[in-house]
Amino acid sequence: MTTNSNPNTVAEMQSTTDQQASTADPFNPTNLRLSQSFVETAGIRKLLTNVPVRKPSPQDFVRVHPDPAYRENFPIIELKDEREEYIVVADLVPLLIGEFVTKTLFTAINRQGTVFFWPVRLPSPEGKNLDWWRSSREAAELAMKSWIRVRANMNLGAYDIFQAESVISDPEWPQLGFWELIKIAFRDHLIDRLDHPVIKRLRGQL
Amino acid sequence: MIPFREIVVADFEFTALPGERPVPVCLVAHELRSGRRFRIFEDQFGPLPPYVTGPDVLFVGFYCSAELGCYRVLRWPMPERVLDPFVEFRNLTNGLPTPAGANLLGALTYFGLDTTGVAENKKEMQEAIGNGTWRGRFTPGEILDYCEGDVIALTRLLLVMLLRIDLPRALLRGRYMAAAAAMEHNGVPIDMDMLECLRLNWTAIQDQLIAAIDCDYGVFDGRTFKLERFAKYLSAAGIPWPRLESGQLDLSDDTFRQMARAYPQVAPLHELRSSLAELRLNDLAVGHDGRNRVILSAFRARSSRNAPSNTRFIFGPSVWLRGLIKPPVGCAICYIDWKQQEFGIAAALSGDPTMQAAYRSGDCYLAFAKQARAVPADATKETYGTQRELYKQCGLAVLYGIGAGGLALRVGQPRIVARNLLQAHHDTYRIFWGWSDAALDTAMLTGSLHTVFGWQIQIGERPNPRSLRNFPMQANGAEMMRLAACLAIERAVEVCAPIHDAFLICAPFDRLEEHIVTMRAAMAEASRIVLGGFELGTDVSITRWPDRYMDPRGAVMWERVTSLLPQRLRATA
Repeated sequence: MTTNSNPNTVAEMQSTTDQQASTADPFNPTNLRLSQSFVETAGIRKLLTNVPVRKPSPQDFVRVHPDPAYRENFPIIELKDEREEYIVVADLVPLLIGEFVTKTLFTAINRQGTVFFWPVRLPSPEGKNLDWWRSSREAAELAMKSWIRVRANMNLGAYDIFQAESVISDPEWPQLGFWELIKIAFRDHLIDRLDHPVIKRLRGQL
Repeated sequence: MIPFREIVVADFEFTALPGERPVPVCLVAHELRSGRRFRIFEDQFGPLPPYVTGPDVLFVGFYCSAELGCYRVLRWPMPERVLDPFVEFRNLTNGLPTPAGANLLGALTYFGLDTTGVAENKKEMQEAIGNGTWRGRFTPGEILDYCEGDVIALTRLLLVMLLRIDLPRALLRGRYMAAAAAMEHNGVPIDMDMLECLRLNWTAIQDQLIAAIDCDYGVFDGRTFKLERFAKYLSAAGIPWPRLESGQLDLSDDTFRQMARAYPQVAPLHELRSSLAELRLNDLAVGHDGRNRVILSAFRARSSRNAPSNTRFIFGPSVWLRGLIKPPVGCAICYIDWKQQEFGIAAALSGDPTMQAAYRSGDCYLAFAKQARAVPADATKETYGTQRELYKQCGLAVLYGIGAGGLALRVGQPRIVARNLLQAHHDTYRIFWGWSDAALDTAMLTGSLHTVFGWQIQIGERPNPRSLRNFPMQANGAEMMRLAACLAIERAVEVCAPIHDAFLICAPFDRLEEHIVTMRAAMAEASRIVLGGFELGTDVSITRWPDRYMDPRGAVMWERVTSLLPQRLRATA
């Protein structure tokens, strides 16, 4: 270290400092730097433990995962009062005709990064396709490319679809695959036996 | 084992009058390897220290910018390797309670060491030496014994602390204590005539100031700020002022500052209140040579930044008072600050390329607005000033972990606007946010965070997530400041003071350009070293004698105050 008493030696001091820096001086700051890469050192990843199954809220702008592997049709029993959806396992489907409906579960995400399944009714086997279902499906398909929000229009009997005009960055999707997300979403909502409480309730056995 | 041929533990006693350089009274030093003892009284100081110096000698002093300040006064060459157990004790316990404080006694107590000889019966002697009234009251022998007591106690502390010290980085911190000593030695040049004039007339000026400013508000009764009148003013002006839990208006300085930013019409009132409350002109520490000198209190803040006394430091009180700063005849002063330092640090350390691109654009806040697609790509500060200001406030506040409510207040907009701004920041700078989350996770998992040079904070019993998220920006900013100060001072720049993310330097006209170049190069180099190669730019503002320095935020108030001086004295303003 030097004093600041002689400004004529600036160049000399600069040169000295540079020379010091180039050698392996253990006290040189360039050799003392510690990493600030907390992402590598912390080793933390966010666990997805809840995946709701619901329609988008009227205020929420949402996107739907564009990959076909992230949507599937399921036989679903809907408890309307509780607003709960249950998947029926394939073995029970022939035994529960008339109790379930078929819905597509789209993997969706809102602006806050909450991942959820958006259930949309398929047309019935008789060809019935209400405007609610149709407009919902159109909205979901549109949401594969842009941020949209949907709001029920009771007068129209369908959903109004609003598309974000400004260019908003694409969402950051979770690393989990579709079936892993399904497992999380329906871990307590799977009808896999005829004495399941939901079936009992539908049959007036509770 | 310490790789030094000699280890010198030293302590000075010195007289330190407000604003003046220290006057060394005595020095006691112990060389630990050989056991040699040095006891030097004021009339025995030679041209060099009594012990050997050089890169293989370790100098140890407790809060040693004071010792090194005495070195400067004695014109001794600075020790090349400095270890300061005060700084290391602060580093070791930063964020944790230290029941007896962080002074020598506190550090000894913390480690359960014998405190004999440190504090007993010393208050009177300490004060007498400090204010220069020791002659005739204490003998040189008594003062030397008193001084040696601290050296012995410091050696006790050192032996315990050595096992806990990361030596190479501790020496980098010690190196800064030499730079701090240089800045304390230099001081900030003050217009003494004007200071004297203000001191003499301040009582009368205060009344006139209240009358002049309060006519727009009607909130004062004499010199008393009346809460109910202020509430009435706010209601009439339609300003939604924050309230305390009790329901009363929050009149804290922080709230006033924040509200003055969102509602500029409140700014003069804020300035007036802080002038009346905080400004004690006689406390401003100015030496007989017209330099404002204070102890910088290096490493006192949790971020390790300096924490000089607000009342004694010219950069502490109201900003308008900085108009008192004036270069000496034939000299200029330069205020050199890093451009958007905290934003740059966040961009560099997080490795977020979008954020780095924003910084490199030269106007990171406008770039942020563009990246968030809130303004067109060809927007300028002139054409989209309002939008830029919103994104600027968001970009700044977000690094402090502000929430939607706080940001809404800061920008004077509904909460939904603030929420959208925060969302835009999250969306635009995802890598930064991932890094920030990881920094917080690291702190909570390991119990501490550290800077690039090992300044650490312990999370303690009640961790504050916002403060922890902000720590990497603040504390690495402090590292950058210290390194730049060391480099510049070692390259012979006269650095007068560090001010958060800036330095004030002084140079004669004929060397001004050279010193500005050297200072800026030091700041650029420091940023590269701290940020792993990412360089931060600097801005320079030059004030040449006979002009005075002026912070733009205080210009109106300065004009107002000086206009109230007696007519015959206004010429000096």
